[in-house]
Amino acid sequence: MLFPTVEYAVFFLAVLAISWALAPRPIAHKIFLLAASYLFYGFWSWRYVPLLFLISLFAGLIGQTLQRIHEETTRKRLLIAGVAVCLVVLAYYKYTSFLLLSALGLWGLVGRTPAWNIPTPFLPLGISFFVFHAISLMGDIYRRKLREPLQLLDALLYVAFFPQLIAGPILRASNFIPQLLRKRDLQHIRVNRAFLLILAGLFKKVILSNTLATRLVEPVFAAPASFHAGDVLLAIYGYAAQIYCDFSGYTDIAIGCAMLLGYRFPRNFNAPYTAADPQEFWQRWHISLSSWLRDYLYIPLGGSRRGTSRTYINLMITMLLGGLWHGASWTFVMWGGLQGLYLVVHRLWAAADSPAVQRLRSHSAWPWVGRLLMFHAVCVGWVFFRASTFALATTVFHQLGSRGAVTLAAWPVVVCLVLGIFGQYAPRVWRRSVEATMSRMPVAVNGVALALGVFAIELLGPTGVAPFIYFQF
Amino acid sequence: MRSYRHFSKLSQLAASVGAFVVVALLLESGGIYDWAGRLDLGPERTVALPVATALHRVLAPLRIERGRQHALVELARVGWSDDPAALAEANELPRLAKPMTPTAVVAMGTTGTAPAHAATGTKPATTITRPVPLRADAAPGLCILPPIPAISVSGTRTVALAGDSMMAVGLSSTILRQAPHYKALSFVHAFKSGTGLARPEVFNWQLEYPAMLKDAQPDFVLVAIGANDGQGFVEDGVTYPFGSEGWKQIYQRRVQAYLDMLSAKGATVVWLGLPPMKSDSYDARIALINRIDYSVVSASPHAIWVGTAGVVGDADGRFRDFGEIDGHTTRLRQGDGIHLSDDGATLITTKLLPWLAAQQVAKPAVPVVADQEVAKP
Repeated sequence: MLFPTVEYAVFFLAVLAISWALAPRPIAHKIFLLAASYLFYGFWSWRYVPLLFLISLFAGLIGQTLQRIHEETTRKRLLIAGVAVCLVVLAYYKYTSFLLLSALGLWGLVGRTPAWNIPTPFLPLGISFFVFHAISLMGDIYRRKLREPLQLLDALLYVAFFPQLIAGPILRASNFIPQLLRKRDLQHIRVNRAFLLILAGLFKKVILSNTLATRLVEPVFAAPASFHAGDVLLAIYGYAAQIYCDFSGYTDIAIGCAMLLGYRFPRNFNAPYTAADPQEFWQRWHISLSSWLRDYLYIPLGGSRRGTSRTYINLMITMLLGGLWHGASWTFVMWGGLQGLYLVVHRLWAAADSPAVQRLRSHSAWPWVGRLLMFHAVCVGWVFFRASTFALATTVFHQLGSRGAVTLAAWPVVVCLVLGIFGQYAPRVWRRSVEATMSRMPVAVNGVALALGVFAIELLGPTGVAPFIYFQF
Repeated sequence: MRSYRHFSKLSQLAASVGAFVVVALLLESGGIYDWAGRLDLGPERTVALPVATALHRVLAPLRIERGRQHALVELARVGWSDDPAALAEANELPRLAKPMTPTAVVAMGTTGTAPAHAATGTKPATTITRPVPLRADAAPGLCILPPIPAISVSGTRTVALAGDSMMAVGLSSTILRQAPHYKALSFVHAFKSGTGLARPEVFNWQLEYPAMLKDAQPDFVLVAIGANDGQGFVEDGVTYPFGSEGWKQIYQRRVQAYLDMLSAKGATVVWLGLPPMKSDSYDARIALINRIDYSVVSASPHAIWVGTAGVVGDADGRFRDFGEIDGHTTRLRQGDGIHLSDDGATLITTKLLPWLAAQQVAKPAVPVVADQEVAKP
């Protein structure tokens, strides 16, 4: 079930009430949350609930075995086997078609391809996320970051916990499982913060993202040759705002819901379009994925410890695979490759220390120049991320040189575009002062304010609910 | 240092959540009632609809819902909303007093004439005196497109793209990307994902389609619809499970009403049969929908059936993920096993678009001159 729906609101209110009532009984509390998580996932398709359960169980059993074994070689082999099984499952569901078509494409270069029609499986919702959770569980236990003996119930709940199940944030087992082991402390839940997160998430998803998608991005990317430079440029900016609002909106709701249930999720977005360089961008965008890739891929490859050339290669491999994780298509790989290239160029730039470069960096306007350059570099990557083919992406870039009237800059589109991009520059103190003001109000008034906010969002939002972009991953 | 509230008691949380629920129900009783009405037949609707109906009835005297509707119209008036029906209401465009139900359509056929084609001089629509018999054979997977009159080099054909997500995803974008190659064709958007003919209370095509067209008068209407219609519905308080005799009759009348609306002003409707589906159970539902659609379309002089199973399906017309285009194996369907990929849509549009554009009548190279001038050396 999608977050901004009546079904989810009813489901969550019921889960919240029961969860708080069960807080003094930890085992019952966790069993209830696990059942609720399977119900949440089964609402999409009951057929794949066993897959979710089996992946979680498998990771949990491997984790328990890793904790019992002390011999390092055996532990390493067991970890590799566990990770390999998870990746094979992910590859089967997500990459079968991609691998087949790529192989046939290579075959076609040398001869006529056979007329194959191999059935490919449906893609289970959120599989990229819960497989990564399973890998994180095994990895953190291997690195001895989890001291307490792993309980299977905790492993199952960690992988399947419904606020993060479908589209993240990607939780670390070493961060989340200790929370499961603690008794729920209702006194440390910032309920107003959670309310504000949910409201902000709904606003970004229902209004900003949906408006930009339906009135700007989709018409242009469906047929870019029909539009001119102004509309195409707006659509590229629009997609940058759309994907940020869509994804950060979802994770805001997820974090807020988890907070109300008594669990802390890590922040996943931190005003990414204010970044002045690629390294800063990846410290602000999809933070849980970038840190996962850093800790489970980049560092095991050697990170920056094996010389400059090897560092660049490791960066490229990490980002190329990061691109592939997003989607089974060469355009996603291209997006990842661009991100890797930006990081490599940034390192080269950071290493440059000529007087001219130093003067440039020390100029007061340089951070803003950096932000402008970084934002547009990110937008170039978004074109490949959004376009379904290279031909489409090429057409989009080509149309940036065409002359003609701007037809899609209706005022609601412009407002949503400005809010989606420049809203990230809003001072954090504003949000904190709103939360502090709410804390001084009677508790019932907080509930009324939330209801009024939801009503306003429903009024301003388009009819229907578009799926979250990151659901397809 | 700021202090933030921490709820330490269940009673505090209950007060806050309770206030939220009460105020949300007050403000959104109309929206919740609409939501419950849109649910598919099943346990969720069985529980939700009576509760939502009772709530709506109790709160109706407060007139909050009326205020909400006024707000929606005003939002459309200032340009915030781009919903066609809301825009039509905001701009006070003429629209039907009430949605055309299948019963109304049949009655109109027996007591009067269907909308005439007088403006274009084409033949009047066939009046509906009784539903056409449901054909026993399956809908064909292919169709030979009949010859159509050539258009002059200065003229253009307006083509409306209508339907649900089967048109919205894959087909429309492929058509629009190829449009620059067909200068003689202009296209009008008249599709919306998540709609269909089975549930007019969710999306009423009789109201929405004229608003989508605005001032356009299409010569052709390409239709791909029905993917969301494999469900039961309630008509006049009676529940009709999918595939029952009553369901088939009512659905057939809705298809007829939709077809009549599309062709009302002289447009020729090109009805694309739905392709085979990956899921066997869903494919069986779509086969029935195709059979009903084909029965109606084949009986209409203003509509052409275009089967797609023979194009994107395998040799037996069944679902396939992959196919060949220009000697390269490519994916013909999206990962959901329902919608067409861009390449799958291309297999269809490469046949349709040239046919729609047809041959153009060339203008003479030189103007006609008087005989004595031509005779000069």
